[in-house]
Amino acid sequence: MKKYSGIMLMLAIISMALPVFAGCSSTSSQAGAYEDADPPGSGNVDPGPDSSGSEDSVRSAVDFDHELDSYKPHKDHYNFYFTYKTVHSWWDAVALGMEEAQRQFLDKGITITYEYMAPEGASAADQAERLNMARQKDYDVIGVDVADEEAITPLLNEMVDAGTKVMTFSSSDAAEGCKRIAYVGNTHNYQDGADLAEALCEKLGYRGKVAILVGSKGAPCHEERARGARDTIAGYSDMEIVATEYDMDSVDMAYELAMQIMNDHPDLDGFICCNMSNPVGAAIAVTEKNSNVVIVGMDHDEEALRYLDKGIIYCLGVQDCYSIGFDTIQTAVKIADGNLAGQLFPEKIDEITTVIYQKDAALMLELLYGDI
Amino acid sequence: MTQKKTITYKTFFLTAIIGSLLIVALLSANTLRASRQSSNATDEAVSAVSSFYLEAMADRRAKTITNLINNNFEQMEKAVAFIRDERVGSQEELRNTIGRVRTLLGLTRFALVDSDNIVYTQYTTYTGRSRHEFLSKETISDRIITTVSIYGSSKQLCLVIPVSDLSVMGKPVKACFVQLHIEDIVDLLAFDDQGRTHFAIYSKNGGNLSGTELGPVISDQNLFEAISGIVSEDVLNDNRKNFEDGAEGSMTFASGNTEETLFYVPIEGTGWEMAVLIIESVIRDQFRDISVKNLAATRNQVMLTMLSVLLLASILLFQFRSISRDKLEKEKETSRTFRDMANTDSQTGVRNKHAYSENEKVIDRQIREGALEKLAVVVCDINGLKYVNDTKGHAEGDKLIKDACSLICEYFTRGAVFRVGGDEFVVLLQGEGFDTMNEVIAEFNRRIEENIKHDSVVVSLGYSALGREDQRLRDVFERADKMMYERKKELKSMGARTGR
Repeated sequence: MKKYSGIMLMLAIISMALPVFAGCSSTSSQAGAYEDADPPGSGNVDPGPDSSGSEDSVRSAVDFDHELDSYKPHKDHYNFYFTYKTVHSWWDAVALGMEEAQRQFLDKGITITYEYMAPEGASAADQAERLNMARQKDYDVIGVDVADEEAITPLLNEMVDAGTKVMTFSSSDAAEGCKRIAYVGNTHNYQDGADLAEALCEKLGYRGKVAILVGSKGAPCHEERARGARDTIAGYSDMEIVATEYDMDSVDMAYELAMQIMNDHPDLDGFICCNMSNPVGAAIAVTEKNSNVVIVGMDHDEEALRYLDKGIIYCLGVQDCYSIGFDTIQTAVKIADGNLAGQLFPEKIDEITTVIYQKDAALMLELLYGDI
Repeated sequence: MTQKKTITYKTFFLTAIIGSLLIVALLSANTLRASRQSSNATDEAVSAVSSFYLEAMADRRAKTITNLINNNFEQMEKAVAFIRDERVGSQEELRNTIGRVRTLLGLTRFALVDSDNIVYTQYTTYTGRSRHEFLSKETISDRIITTVSIYGSSKQLCLVIPVSDLSVMGKPVKACFVQLHIEDIVDLLAFDDQGRTHFAIYSKNGGNLSGTELGPVISDQNLFEAISGIVSEDVLNDNRKNFEDGAEGSMTFASGNTEETLFYVPIEGTGWEMAVLIIESVIRDQFRDISVKNLAATRNQVMLTMLSVLLLASILLFQFRSISRDKLEKEKETSRTFRDMANTDSQTGVRNKHAYSENEKVIDRQIREGALEKLAVVVCDINGLKYVNDTKGHAEGDKLIKDACSLICEYFTRGAVFRVGGDEFVVLLQGEGFDTMNEVIAEFNRRIEENIKHDSVVVSLGYSALGREDQRLRDVFERADKMMYERKKELKSMGARTGR
């Protein structure tokens, strides 16, 4: 279903302006008239634990029911290269959406092959190296989940200038003004951070000390969420940020940092966790210290969802990784055929984030991981 | 003296009807009891057969999956050998080779994993450590069977074998694996489509892996959550433990009108349990329907039989009654014949001495009672019978007797004639015979006297009437007999022969 930028912009302004909407997960997608193809992505709002979290909103948090649009590819074989920040189950969920798109193209007689590679730890240097190797080969499109926008954006511009078709995807776009052709993924990381911070402030009665676990230094999505959280906290005079740490998207490091922060600040009231790993690390630490520190965080890690189910984690912002993957392949095919943003697809294809609470955890676990 | 009891037709009919009804009731009760015993036996048989059937079904399906797994392992070994022989040098060649292997060997999502945990499939190459749990191990030395729940709750069975002596694009391959969709496994297990038996595959915690519905009560829910509250806590815990231990077991439970029995067996190497469920109440109801129909048919048969028996008995009874009546009539006739024979003189056809004695008893009683007023006894004796017998033979003597009897009967038409001796007859006269006695006797005597002249039949006759002083017939007879002897002398004097 098409969403238009004007409406989305208005929604964004309203949600930014009115505190009553704080704590909600909001999404936006680029508008525009697209010929012969529907732009992916849709909006979703979860207003909070008392008035939201209905089964429908939880079920729609991740859309597993995708079909290719009516676009007719020019070739019968495409070969892509994708690289992302780090080996992590979050991108495994993205991979499943990509594989579904690949299967649907295959049903239409179009073979999609691709590499989907990442280092064991997030590293801009490693990413640059992978991109430089990939650009030497004859890939139809190279897709990047940007590890560090300052370091990677210039390389992407260089690749585009050299004739390589480049797109960004998943949770981190390149810096503003990058020449990459399109981005598929979360366009509202700042708002996700703000929503989580707002939920935490509300839970704490707008009074207390909090710490922020960011994730990878320089990773746009992590940094933007931290910025959104900081800005939200700044809006409440009785709220204070006592620590901001980078856990490098590692559960172990997040645990160590959380323990350290709680030791340093025994009167800590909350953690704002900006990636998929650090809510788990923080929850382990909080459980170990038998603390009442409130945790808000990102994503759908199974362990994190179980902590949510137990009430150790207060809320989680769940991104629709499956749709990100599906739309990435679909958009890559269009880009490979020489299409540019604005005609068949927008420059930024937004995917939703849904904030879920304890009462939603069991259903989300069932939907995402089944009952084994 | 006791009175002999007689069986009437009414008694006979009542006895027949009551007896028949009792027989019908007894047969019906026995049929009902037999039906109930049959029903109980059917229930027991259903349970026994169900358990046996379920165990066999579960075992067979579990083995089907085990065979599928073993077959996949064999195919994977062949695939590795094939790829090793191909000596692939590039990513494209590897993808093409994997594609051919999948097609040739029917493998689903066949993939190789190198020492850096890079996964190679027909269409993709990806870093797989976080995606595949088995890659968390540094080295893989044995076959691995794991259940994976894919993001989006799709469940698959992952089969892994270690690989050595194979390199792709300069990197050693440490393993290969296939992922089987549980939905595809379920499709292999063709099942009863009539709604009586169901199956599902469960994980150790009772989670439904197959997505199939195990009957209306459990449906596709977690097994233990579904039966919690339906079975006792002990049963629940026992079965939960069986699942955790990978043991087999069974349980029966009822919900509403539905009674279900399930049996489960472990599926080797998977940590799964194959559960097969049968809705016993449906089968039992069908058996009961059959039993009820059989019972009704038996009842109808019994009723029809009894009605037939009753009808036949009635026909036989009527026939018996008819035969009895005929027989009775014949017996009466025979009795009458015999009585006639006993009272009749065979030579002359008149009543004999026995008849006279019977009549004498009756007349004696009437005399005692004063019921008789008019009675006369006429004693007749044939003259010359001995002489005829001696001179002309017994045939002529017999003829003489017959002629004499005919003569007596000719005149005493209103009296009872008895032959009471060889040549002696008695005539009893009552009513009109008594009133005309004198005239008849006078005519008879005149005839006799005439016969003497013609050498014909001569009968001496004496007679006497009942007097007030007579106590019995004999008294009258003796007077008549005396008179007869007087007459015999008189006739002798007239020329009549005498044999005495």
